Amino acid sequence: MLSIRNLSFRYHVTKVAALDGVSFDALRGEVLGLLGPNGAGKTTLIAHLSGILPIQSGEITLDQRSLAAERSSKPTRIAVAPQEYAFYPSLSVVENLACFAGVGGLSGSEKNTRITECLAFAQLERYAAARADRLSGGLKRRLNLAIAMLHRPEFLLFDEPTVGVDPQSRAFILQAVKKLARDGGAVIYTSHYMEEVEVIADRVVILDQGRVLKQGALTELLGASGTQLQLAVEGGYEERLQTLLAPFGSVTRQGVGVQLTLPSRRSFTSVIATLEAAGLVVRHARFGDANLEQLFMSLTHRSLRD
Amino acid sequence: MLPLHMFLALMKKELLALSRDIHGMVALFVMPMVFIIVMSMALKDVYTPSTKSLSYAVMNQDQGKTAKKLLERWEQDHGVALALPENWQDEVSAGRLKYVLVIESGFSRLLDNLGSKGTAKVRLLTDPGLDNGVFETNRMRLAAMVSQLRAEGLVARLPDKLGAAALIGDAPVAAERIKAGPRPTAVQQNVPAWLVFGMFFVVASIAGLFVEERSCGALTRLRTLGAMPWQLIASKIIPYLLVNGVQAALMLAVGIWLMPLIGGEGLSLEGVNWSALLLMLFAISLAAVSLALAVACLVSTHAQAATLGPILNVLMAALGGVMVPLFVMPAVMQKIAAWSPMNWSLEGLLDVLLRNGDVASVLPEVGRLAGFSALMLVLAFVLFRRRV
Repeated sequence: MLSIRNLSFRYHVTKVAALDGVSFDALRGEVLGLLGPNGAGKTTLIAHLSGILPIQSGEITLDQRSLAAERSSKPTRIAVAPQEYAFYPSLSVVENLACFAGVGGLSGSEKNTRITECLAFAQLERYAAARADRLSGGLKRRLNLAIAMLHRPEFLLFDEPTVGVDPQSRAFILQAVKKLARDGGAVIYTSHYMEEVEVIADRVVILDQGRVLKQGALTELLGASGTQLQLAVEGGYEERLQTLLAPFGSVTRQGVGVQLTLPSRRSFTSVIATLEAAGLVVRHARFGDANLEQLFMSLTHRSLRD
Repeated sequence: MLPLHMFLALMKKELLALSRDIHGMVALFVMPMVFIIVMSMALKDVYTPSTKSLSYAVMNQDQGKTAKKLLERWEQDHGVALALPENWQDEVSAGRLKYVLVIESGFSRLLDNLGSKGTAKVRLLTDPGLDNGVFETNRMRLAAMVSQLRAEGLVARLPDKLGAAALIGDAPVAAERIKAGPRPTAVQQNVPAWLVFGMFFVVASIAGLFVEERSCGALTRLRTLGAMPWQLIASKIIPYLLVNGVQAALMLAVGIWLMPLIGGEGLSLEGVNWSALLLMLFAISLAAVSLALAVACLVSTHAQAATLGPILNVLMAALGGVMVPLFVMPAVMQKIAAWSPMNWSLEGLLDVLLRNGDVASVLPEVGRLAGFSALMLVLAFVLFRRRV
């Protein structure tokens, strides 16, 4: 288990707390979605887990051993697939794999075997001899993934791994990430695409301004965040509409309509009936659990892309 | 300890990336080679001025025996004179004829007869653009020939029993270079100069590749795999020492074998102390690579790497005597040059290649270059830790 306790960090230049008492666990066999708007502290957190930034305050442990001790004895237990294309553009796919395999301690037949396996895992066999900078965006992401897999890491950090890739490669990467968790790895996955996180994450941690706002199993978080009723009423939004809906739950304006968050899974028919009794005509109604994006926005009051 | 497999993987990556950097390869290998060829051919006559190949004509208004003797001796040293054109003054002014010897009427009589009075002279009239050194050489040779002829005329008038004829012989003057090193030719000067320049051009290559691997995140990935900053820096030193070694071999080969084929003089390594040469090349390479690493860690963008490296190189070369020989610089510039690592490098190589210097004689330059390397490596390490 990867465990983070009360992790805080301030950059020397800005003096602003990039991380402020962050605590959570990443368990083997599950995908942990790490969400936060820009500046939330995700990059700083990943830099700590990668061993790039020293810990100022707090603790990170891997199976009860400090991260620093683990990194110095076996740095390849944690692998990072960073947001950038972290490989050498002028080298071929296989040369890149060989370089990072060698640096991480693989040699001889073991190295060759792992290169072959990772090429197969990322379905890059056909491109083994191609220069990395001549690959498409999706293939580059797959190469990034293959390099991260070289040393059979137990803990994997994926930082925005699907940015700028075609739908086919995105589906492939998401499938691969899920498989890694199923095979016993602990995966931390950050993305701006909420629907991705919703599909693959077992648990989520929502960060903002260096603090954990919410964490837990995805189903629990979404269930606890209430039921959403989105309404479009003839005549649009009016003060009267808000007054009529207020007794049922919290009301927020959404475009030309409104969104009503019901505290429990109570029937929405009474809401519709109230509106009709007041002489309002409901043009459109959508009812169901809140999605991750709605949960995120209600917590941070910002869109993830802000 | 740096594990061998990690070190080999990093070295291989560095050499592969460099081999695919076409601009870097041209700057490292083709550019200094071209400089050696072009500059050696262009400066050929500066180091070995050929007065024999200069076109000249004679206007002999005297027709005396002594004047004829003077012209015979001049032709022996300077080749046969061309026919004097009618408009010879225009030809000389335009540089098509390099000079004209004018022997004025009465010149022979003046030299042959003791006590005869007159103003007749032999005049050397040259192209206004003629190099100063060549002009002075011809003037001195002419003056020496005339003095010799005058002395011969005097001796001929003395009684034989004085044995005065014995007085006329070669002047008791000897000039030679101390130590029997190779003759200083344009090639002998230009090969070390442009070799040093080329070796320091690793600055641009290393800085460019370093910025690339930092900006694409590869360096961060190497750090996450456990590579320490000093290991990453060390892994860049040996590949570029090898690159510098190949450069040195190539440039020496160009001097030795290619230059004679294209009409230049060949580089001579006769009597060269190989230990001293290898030590100097190693010290220069270490200084160049260390400077390159410091610059690489200093710059943030490709644009900075692509400009700072070459600018630094050209400035150091201009100040260090690579582009303009130190001996033609004024005293102030020579003092400034003494602070340029390229100057230490060049002087050390010239010690070995021209002065037959041994290991002991290049130790001062090696020491300065080693100190400079240490300083640059510390700077690179400090900057690297801040940036990655």
